[in-house]
Amino acid sequence: MAVERIDLPQGTLDLLILRTLDLGPQHGWAVSERVQQMSSDVLRIQQGSLYPALHRLERRGWIKARWGISENNRRAKYYELTRSGRRQLQVNKDAWEKMTAAVAQVLGTA
Amino acid sequence: MFSDMSFRFRSLFRRTAVECELDDELRFHLDHQVERYVAAGMTRAEALRRTRLEFGGLEQVKEDCREARGVSFVETLGQDLRFGLRTLRKAPGFSMVTILTLALGIGMSAAIFSVVNAILLRPLAYPSPRQLVFVSQANAKAHISDVGMSYPTFSELRDHNRVFRAMAGLAGHALTLTGSGEPSEVNTVVVTEDFFAVLETRPLLGRSLLPDDGKRGAAPVVVLSERLWRSRFGGDAGIVGRSITLDQRPFTVVGVMPADFRTPFFGQANQEWIPLAQDPVFSAWMTRPPQDHWMPVIARLRPGVSFSQAKAELDTLSAAVAKKYPKENGWLTGIQPLQKEIVGDVQSPLLILLGAVGFLLLIACVNIANLLLTRATARQKEMAVRIALGADRRRIAWQLLTECSILGLAGGIAGVVLAWGGVSAMGSLLPSDLPQIHSIRVDGFVLGFALVLSLAASLLFGLAPVLFAARSHPQTDLRESARAGQTRGSQRARGWFAVAEIALAMILLVGGGLLMRSFLRLMSVDPGFEPDHVVKAEVSLPQFQYRNQQQWAEFLDQLLSRLEAQPGLRDTAMAAPLPISDPFVVLPFAIAGSPPPAQGQANTSHWTTVSPRYFEVMRIPLLRGRLFAQSDSMTAPPVAVISEALARKFFPDRDPLGQHLIFGFPPNGNVSREIVGVVSDIRDASLADNPGPMMYVPIDQDPIWGGEVVVRSGLSESAVVAAIRTETHRIDKNLPVTNIETLPDAVHASMAEPRFHTELLGLFGSIALLLAGIGIFGVMSFSVSRRTQEIGTRMALGATRASIWRLVIGESAKLVSLGLAVGIPAALLLTRYLSTLLFAVHPSDPLTFLVVAILLTLVALAAAYFPARRAMRVDPIVALRCE
Repeated sequence: MAVERIDLPQGTLDLLILRTLDLGPQHGWAVSERVQQMSSDVLRIQQGSLYPALHRLERRGWIKARWGISENNRRAKYYELTRSGRRQLQVNKDAWEKMTAAVAQVLGTA
Repeated sequence: MFSDMSFRFRSLFRRTAVECELDDELRFHLDHQVERYVAAGMTRAEALRRTRLEFGGLEQVKEDCREARGVSFVETLGQDLRFGLRTLRKAPGFSMVTILTLALGIGMSAAIFSVVNAILLRPLAYPSPRQLVFVSQANAKAHISDVGMSYPTFSELRDHNRVFRAMAGLAGHALTLTGSGEPSEVNTVVVTEDFFAVLETRPLLGRSLLPDDGKRGAAPVVVLSERLWRSRFGGDAGIVGRSITLDQRPFTVVGVMPADFRTPFFGQANQEWIPLAQDPVFSAWMTRPPQDHWMPVIARLRPGVSFSQAKAELDTLSAAVAKKYPKENGWLTGIQPLQKEIVGDVQSPLLILLGAVGFLLLIACVNIANLLLTRATARQKEMAVRIALGADRRRIAWQLLTECSILGLAGGIAGVVLAWGGVSAMGSLLPSDLPQIHSIRVDGFVLGFALVLSLAASLLFGLAPVLFAARSHPQTDLRESARAGQTRGSQRARGWFAVAEIALAMILLVGGGLLMRSFLRLMSVDPGFEPDHVVKAEVSLPQFQYRNQQQWAEFLDQLLSRLEAQPGLRDTAMAAPLPISDPFVVLPFAIAGSPPPAQGQANTSHWTTVSPRYFEVMRIPLLRGRLFAQSDSMTAPPVAVISEALARKFFPDRDPLGQHLIFGFPPNGNVSREIVGVVSDIRDASLADNPGPMMYVPIDQDPIWGGEVVVRSGLSESAVVAAIRTETHRIDKNLPVTNIETLPDAVHASMAEPRFHTELLGLFGSIALLLAGIGIFGVMSFSVSRRTQEIGTRMALGATRASIWRLVIGESAKLVSLGLAVGIPAALLLTRYLSTLLFAVHPSDPLTFLVVAILLTLVALAAAYFPARRAMRVDPIVALRCE
């Protein structure tokens, strides 16, 4: 694979998970796959931090989990956005956009 | 498919639901990833290896997940409990001492609380107990309150009020049951017909009383208690409708009340109920005038009627009664909850005991806090290591509190067991006339109390080590631990604990000491007669058979002369009532030729009817005039003997001999009697009551239906009793001889209540002293071991053994003086509440305070003795090398 992968900056993992789940319920493995795909293999989630993040978001009530059957016919835990999660996604997205714009501005004027 | 891997994973997994789910989720992820790599062309082994590598430490991820989702409270608790139990098991000595100390505190508290619960808190065992009231009369001008009412007043109130659903009067009387085994006295409650309607209790068999049963001239009926029915009639199912003989008169049994039904005010001794109109004594009292306030009355409020409504209505009715009977002017009728009336004056002693036992528990807690603090100091290094390794301080605090709660609960459970034993042991200690005594037991409420108490206690004593741990500084602690370092704060806290213990022990010991002193005074009080070697027995005459005074007097004379003729029974007399062992009788009297006392006030005196030799038998000395003689017969001029107190109070400046007093036991109320003698005072009501005016009349002139035989004899009690029984039955084989007792026993029994208080508070004080001693010992010995190096250095620099001794003992003395400085004022403040229980001892009795202070000081110095000796023996070389 020729693409260089970069580790996620602090605090973006939650945003990515929420964004991924905005597309529909997913199990953990699919979330990491989807992020990788959507970022054209640039972003890659540390597997070790994915699950703690999912559990944290669940505890905050932004996503909720239920057991379902996966595409390969196994029992898998699916996560989906809750209403407050959707709101949170919007908040995080705005913050992110503001920040990147600001960073870009700083970098541009440097 | 990936069975080996799944298996290996699975073997790692614990079985709790949350854990399982976490396992499943992660396993799914891993399997999925492996599958994917295999699909991409890797061998399985390589895919496995790669997956694991990428995933990182599985356990670490799981731990992170647990943390992320916040470990559940239950899980933390479980962990803490397991850890706590393990730690406590590793220190069995510490755990045992703590649990025992706590068990003692909680057990005592729970036992006392079970008494308080039964008597003060638990509602009366009748339906809707809140509606039940005691109806009493009071006359503010004459300073009389809480007395009963006459039957005419009762009828007036019963017939005209709109606030009571039912209202009933009751009185007690013993009737003689014959024709069914041995003749015996049956405690009978004489009631008006609505009695059972007030209490709303259904009979076990048959019916209770009907309105018609209460009418004069109705057929005599009786309701039996289940106990009497079983013991005397073998539980005969056909008892209803049968006739039984009471006082030689047939009564028809109409019903049986269940065993758990109790008559208010009558304890468990009541055995049957008859209508007032059927009682040989009280039926005659129904016509007594309204100014005879003799009958206690209970009532049930109509649903929805408030206390104030009822009071307002009774005020109106009282005015109507006063209009009808002008002599009743100034009398008011009031009500109060029946429970309050039944509990009466035991409330404050009970609350005092509860407070005292609370102090004891507090001392136990302080002691445990002290132990825990010692332990916390010893575990300082452990805590420092845990904090240094990243343990959350809050988590450590929780862990410590859990440990304390384990101790608390274990102590609580042991305490409940102790309370169980304590309650049954207390049964023999409790004064038998305590209301509700039968219902004292360790019930759910008491268990709940013990549980709450043990948890509260563990929080209380757990706080110190927790605060201590929260302040711990890992760096300094770890560094200092190499030198057995101590934070000054913990030692200071321990010192304060010792001070608190001494202060609390001071309070309890002073309380116990005051009661003990009061009890000793009570025991050494001179009753005015000599109870030793006197036996008493009661003979009661059935009034349907022995109808009039002539018959009574004849019987009593005959019995006396027969007894006196027996060898060894020469000193025999009769009296009714006897001092202390019987309830006293108070009668109004007038002095002939003196102006009558002001309206609503009357001269009163205790009254006793006695046979001529009574004063000799009881050893009550004659002061002036003469005693009664055989010649003072029913036909002779009426005479009386008075006590010194009466002479002093009513004849301060003239000779009472030859004067006439007008009084008498009903119905002979207005007989003018010449005073022929003055005898010395006796304590008639109880040992604690100062001697008051007494009037004695010859039993031949004023006989009643029976009396107490008193015999002073060198013979054994049983021989005397056998003689009394034989001679009584020779006259009439159907007469019961009851209430047999030696007079010393009777006097002893009259002190049951003060003895109970004294023994309990004395016990609490002793335990408090012991605990305080242990506390001081702990503090001092810890302090010495902490200062071993310091002492060694001092000795190396030339300090003498004596100065080291002074150092240690001085520290202990400082604790004691601080403890006393707090304890003495606190005790002074609190003993005021004891004053109602004290006899001839002031609540701030200096001697008691002094003795207790000296005792505590001695105990504290003794507790410091061993540590001080250890300090003196410190070898400076060893101590310094230790470092």
